[in-house]
Amino acid sequence: VTRRLLPWAGLVLVVAVTLAVVLWPSGDRSDAARARALSEEFRCPECQGLSAADSSAPTARAIRADIRDRVESGQSDAEIRQAMVDRFGESILLRPEGGGLGLVVWGLPVAALALGGAGLALALRRWRREPTMHATAADEALVDQARS
Amino acid sequence: MTSHPLRWIALGVGVAVAGLAVVLALQVGDDQLQAQPRSELLGDPAPDFTVTTFDGEEITLESLAGKAVIVNFWNSWCIPCKQEEPALKEFYEQHRDDTDFALVGIVRDDTKGAARKAVGARDIEWPMGTDPGGRAALDFGTRGQPETYAITPDGLVAGTQYGPASVENLETLLATARGQR
Repeated sequence: VTRRLLPWAGLVLVVAVTLAVVLWPSGDRSDAARARALSEEFRCPECQGLSAADSSAPTARAIRADIRDRVESGQSDAEIRQAMVDRFGESILLRPEGGGLGLVVWGLPVAALALGGAGLALALRRWRREPTMHATAADEALVDQARS
Repeated sequence: MTSHPLRWIALGVGVAVAGLAVVLALQVGDDQLQAQPRSELLGDPAPDFTVTTFDGEEITLESLAGKAVIVNFWNSWCIPCKQEEPALKEFYEQHRDDTDFALVGIVRDDTKGAARKAVGARDIEWPMGTDPGGRAALDFGTRGQPETYAITPDGLVAGTQYGPASVENLETLLATARGQR
């Protein structure tokens, strides 16, 4: 049983470490790095498909300057996001929020992955249980002959 | 069907993927920010802007307290701004002597020189000022120009017009700012 579980435990460990590295907020970010990361979260209001970090449009420049000021004045990331949403609405966010339509956008792929994983696990169990070769009538006749 | 849980799971995956596809299909191609029909600031206190006119006069929202204020974001090179100019001129002529009214143009995304030249060449008579650092444009949550905001005498945002406004649009904005609608 231990030998069978070992690969699964390894897989869980690899996934957990990867998620931790990707999602864990890095603690020692400079103000400039924080401002840069935040400006990547906002849509440039007047250009299609660009973040405020990547656009040279005046409003994008003003957004970057405003974020820098807010970071320097000690505002939290959540406060800065809220300030932008208060002016432009939630559509200023390039990443959907966790509620409303955002819940669907985040939730459906997770649900599809979970269901797909469950299906795969069930299928693997079934394939393991079911013999892949079936005895033919000739095989059974041979067995009967040997027994008699 | 109950004896085949795999089918249910496959159905669930299919529904989730189809749902996601529908959501994405409805969203992709729309610039949600541009398509947003109304300002987030409606009913909220208007940002206290400071603009400096080409004559060197400083205009702040605070200095216009007690008036119904129409703020128009404009620049010299934008075609819709040019299209809007006759309506703004007619509207301004009708109300320029109203003591409870102010129209302020704020230059958005333009150089001071080009804006000043255009104001002179096109006989724009209402106060027009520059917006250093795009502060006012940001605080109003503008997405382009022209954009027009109506502010009540006590400083609340009462209405917005995205894109060129007609005289009727401007009259409606002013009436809303005055509390007549």
